[in-house]
Amino acid sequence: MSDSIVEFSNVTKQFGNHRAVDNVSFVVRKGRIFGLLGPNGAGKTTSIRMLTYILKPDSGSIKMFGQPVGPETQKKLGYLPEERGLYKKMKVGEQLIYLCRLKGFTREKARSQIRYWLERFGALDWIGQEVGELSKGMQQKVQFIATIAHDPDCLIFDEPFSGLDPINSEMLKEAILELRDAGKTIFFATHRMEQVEQLCDDIALFNKGKLILQGDLTEIRSSYGLNSIRLRFSGDSRFLNNMENIRINNRSTNYAELRLLEGANDQLILREAQRHVRIHAFELVQPSIQEIFIDSVSK
Amino acid sequence: MTFDLIQKEKLFLIIQREYLTRLRSKIFIVTTILAPVVMILLLILPTLIQTMTAERERQFLVYDETGEVGSGLVANDSIYYKLTSDAPDELRTRLINGSIEGYLVIPHEILDGQGKVTFFHGGTAGMTVTSRIRSDVQQIVRDIRLDRLDTPAEVRAILADRVQTENLTITAEGTEEADSGFFMLLGFVMGFIIYGAMFGYGAVIMRSVMEEKTSRIVEVIASSVRPFELLMGKVTGVALLGLTQFAIWAAAGAGIMMIAGPIMALFMESGAIHEQPVGASTDAAAFSIPSINPFIWISFVLFFLLGFLIYSSLFAAVGSAVDQESDSQQLQMPIIMLIIIPLMFLFPVSDDPASTLSVVLSMVPFFAPILMPVRMAVIQIPFWQLWGTVLLMILTFVVLIWMSARIYRTGILMYGKKAGFRELWKWVREN
Repeated sequence: MSDSIVEFSNVTKQFGNHRAVDNVSFVVRKGRIFGLLGPNGAGKTTSIRMLTYILKPDSGSIKMFGQPVGPETQKKLGYLPEERGLYKKMKVGEQLIYLCRLKGFTREKARSQIRYWLERFGALDWIGQEVGELSKGMQQKVQFIATIAHDPDCLIFDEPFSGLDPINSEMLKEAILELRDAGKTIFFATHRMEQVEQLCDDIALFNKGKLILQGDLTEIRSSYGLNSIRLRFSGDSRFLNNMENIRINNRSTNYAELRLLEGANDQLILREAQRHVRIHAFELVQPSIQEIFIDSVSK
Repeated sequence: MTFDLIQKEKLFLIIQREYLTRLRSKIFIVTTILAPVVMILLLILPTLIQTMTAERERQFLVYDETGEVGSGLVANDSIYYKLTSDAPDELRTRLINGSIEGYLVIPHEILDGQGKVTFFHGGTAGMTVTSRIRSDVQQIVRDIRLDRLDTPAEVRAILADRVQTENLTITAEGTEEADSGFFMLLGFVMGFIIYGAMFGYGAVIMRSVMEEKTSRIVEVIASSVRPFELLMGKVTGVALLGLTQFAIWAAAGAGIMMIAGPIMALFMESGAIHEQPVGASTDAAAFSIPSINPFIWISFVLFFLLGFLIYSSLFAAVGSAVDQESDSQQLQMPIIMLIIIPLMFLFPVSDDPASTLSVVLSMVPFFAPILMPVRMAVIQIPFWQLWGTVLLMILTFVVLIWMSARIYRTGILMYGKKAGFRELWKWVREN
């Protein structure tokens, strides 16, 4: 593909006897949000660390903008690790300029970029404060600015929403979408599947170091067809326990997602539901990512 | 594994940050001011304490069977010694109930060169007291015995005479200088300063690595620079900081000398006029500090730097392998031992700097930073020993920083795991 930004080819990384990433290949295109999904320990962070040239693969190659990853590609990269961290004793402005200059910016260019972003996030007042004096939410903003201030073409967010309150989550989501619209390529790693559906264009599903499914999210989902039911109700839902050929996900007191398995009949389920509970909504839908993940793992 | 070529601008940035943030920190300012104060206190405190305790007045009772020795002692110092006619048993009881500090029993046969004087005291008498009493008794007994033999004054003069000896050092330029033991002291002080610096700056490196690891900033940095660059930048930055601190101390010391010199001279001059117009010049000469060869200063800095590089690479490896300071004890142990061992040899080495033991110990790269400057201050080190050691130290550093970089690279990304030596060795061998 001509507009491929990142290319993993047969990448393997082993730690002792543990194969953290096992023969993984995928391509990420320009201007897309690419979701690296999978449970904890599936190989997402190790893949990211190889892409950021923190670790080197044992075998296989990783290319970015057509060249092998290395100090040059690091400059075009912004990385927000899962475990956030800044120098606590350093002042916000100094710190951001330092991090920006490590990416190859001159002092003047770094300074103007940082002023712009601090102003944008309403954080210009913090410029002379030590990071350790800021609240957690404020530190998150500073860290986000540190990730994007050098205007990288490729951004990597590892579990970006963990520890964020709803307001900051929403702000971050908007910022990510805005960056995508500006033509940046964005990596987004998470084990929280529901976040993916709102953001990702493409996904790569990891499990135990292996890549088990990848591609355009919409295509993947439509390939599964309308094989799930979303049911909203009030009343006693115990009747669901006796239903055959379905798998229940995301069940709560007045909501359930039902995956139709081989031999299930949606109309039968509707009739049965009518007999036991008051139905607020009954909808045939494409499967959730979680469902797709479970499906792919069990294959 | 291949080392990537170091990116100079990034390395420079890291050095700059490591150096400047520390230079401006409170701890740097405090230690810069406090360290010399503590050092001076340590030097003058023993003398100060001694003069303070010496003030106390003591008195010992003398039970004298000769009727001559005891009165001689009292004639010497009537406060220190007091004659008593109480029997020794009585004196013993008084000593036990604490009403007297001690007593001497002088038997009559002592003047015939037989028997012995016994000094009874509670607890431990102390070295000063014991030696004073011994010399006082010795002198008086000797005088009385000489008197009995009608010894002529010439013989007494011979006995009282002391043979004068003088130590002269022949310097490389062939001039003679009085050996006042100053250079031995200088060697000691240098050894101690480097010892303190290895610990102090080593801890700075270790904490700094640990701080980056626990605050998780290291992963962000590692996505911009190679861990090796970060490590080298850190080590260089802190080394520069150490040199800065030494420079400040040296400048302050020189400044104090420059001011103190004329003031002291002024004192001596005025004192000389009032008291001893003739002997003053020789006294002042004995007081002046011998000039220190600039080469000693240069090598002091050189050995500090090499020692710092060796130890900081070890401390950095430990810092990267642990999550919190309390976990670092076990891994730090061998490093601390390596720093302490040469300290135990400080005396034998400065006492005989040319012995085989001294040569061998001072050439061991881990001990050299402390022991080589000590030897160098006292004697002229043969060329091959000096530069051979420097070469060995450089080689040691290269090997250590290579190993340390491998541990560091793995360690900084490893959380929640307490690594032992076996684990560290695995990190060096693998990847």
